Amino acid sequence: MTNEDSDIYQGILDAQRANRPCVLATVVATRGSTPRKNGAKMLVDPAQGLIGTVGGGCGEAEVITAAERTLETGKPQMVRVDLTDDPLAWTGSVCGGILEVFVEPIYPESP
Amino acid sequence: MPKPGPLSLAQTAAHLLSAMEAGEKAAVMAVISHPDPTRVGGRVLLRGEERLGSFQDPMADAAAMELARAGLTGDPKVLQGLHTLPLAGGNEATVYLELHHPPAEMVIVGAGHLAQPLCTLGALLGLRVRVLDDRPDFATRERFPEAHEVREVDFSDPFADGKLHPWSHVLLVTRGHRYDFECLRKVLQHEPLPGYVGMIGSRRRVRATFDALLQEGFSRDLLSHVRAPIGLDIGGETPAEIAVSVAAEIVLLWRGGSGHPLKDAEKVLDRLSTGPGEQPRDTLDEQDIP
Repeated sequence: MTNEDSDIYQGILDAQRANRPCVLATVVATRGSTPRKNGAKMLVDPAQGLIGTVGGGCGEAEVITAAERTLETGKPQMVRVDLTDDPLAWTGSVCGGILEVFVEPIYPESP
Repeated sequence: MPKPGPLSLAQTAAHLLSAMEAGEKAAVMAVISHPDPTRVGGRVLLRGEERLGSFQDPMADAAAMELARAGLTGDPKVLQGLHTLPLAGGNEATVYLELHHPPAEMVIVGAGHLAQPLCTLGALLGLRVRVLDDRPDFATRERFPEAHEVREVDFSDPFADGKLHPWSHVLLVTRGHRYDFECLRKVLQHEPLPGYVGMIGSRRRVRATFDALLQEGFSRDLLSHVRAPIGLDIGGETPAEIAVSVAAEIVLLWRGGSGHPLKDAEKVLDRLSTGPGEQPRDTLDEQDIP
């Protein structure tokens, strides 16, 4: 397990202890030249910010938006992030490819 | 009694961190799609031979355990990623299989100039770094602030108090080639063999070492496991530059890289069609998106 992963799992436990909801995004599949491969994770903790990365750039912004939505609906969802559009866009990611990201809410549990 | 249902993400996080702390492998399966949408996000974990959590479907649980075991034992057909599980009643669920191994370690034998940037880069890569030397003035916490452990050892048996593992990366960089040689012999006699063994040295010194070990009866096959001279050829000279080349070699072995410049591997400019009206195409390699 990398430091990044253990920081994320620790972050989940910290959020639980503090009774805060948070969201985990996991890259479960990729196609093409993506910045991160399957297994890459990002924890979105509204009070603490982000831990880890699923690749940065606009694609990550889409995942953060989906994370906010999933906290409202309470339902896990798959998000397809397409980085193949317009390779010369100024604001895009430096990579191409498609990421399938599983985004799921984590609510405080009673012990 | 644990609850009979699937693990929550928080429970999974706690079990995983405790498995890693204990130096045990673990596999997690998370439901990504299921005919019953309330099952999505449920998890089952395999740690050793113990299953934690349940999909509450004996068929799915049995298939999940088979998948997890195959993944953890390195079956090339069962990789981390999406898999299909059969459910009772002829339905199917998609699960994401994730394989976790305890954090790998870097064991630096010799606490000299090179050891310091090696320790920094090892910690940066997420390795637990152990630094060993027989000189108390060198094997100090102050010199290696990022190390997990700094220990004074006897080079005649440097691993007596800290065993090596398949996930150990052993770097032999002592002050004298004689010590590197003795430590290498100890490493090669160690059961199990560490995943990475590297030894610094010129071609001449490495040859002398291999020659002596072959004469002692070590097999050529075993010696081929040793990365000596250590590191990738990037022309490094200073301790920092050499440490970068060693760290690069370690990442290359983890990730299966070629060591070639990406510029030469991809040849983007050569492949670019320049004819009028022809658009360069971005082709996608079929990987694991179903």
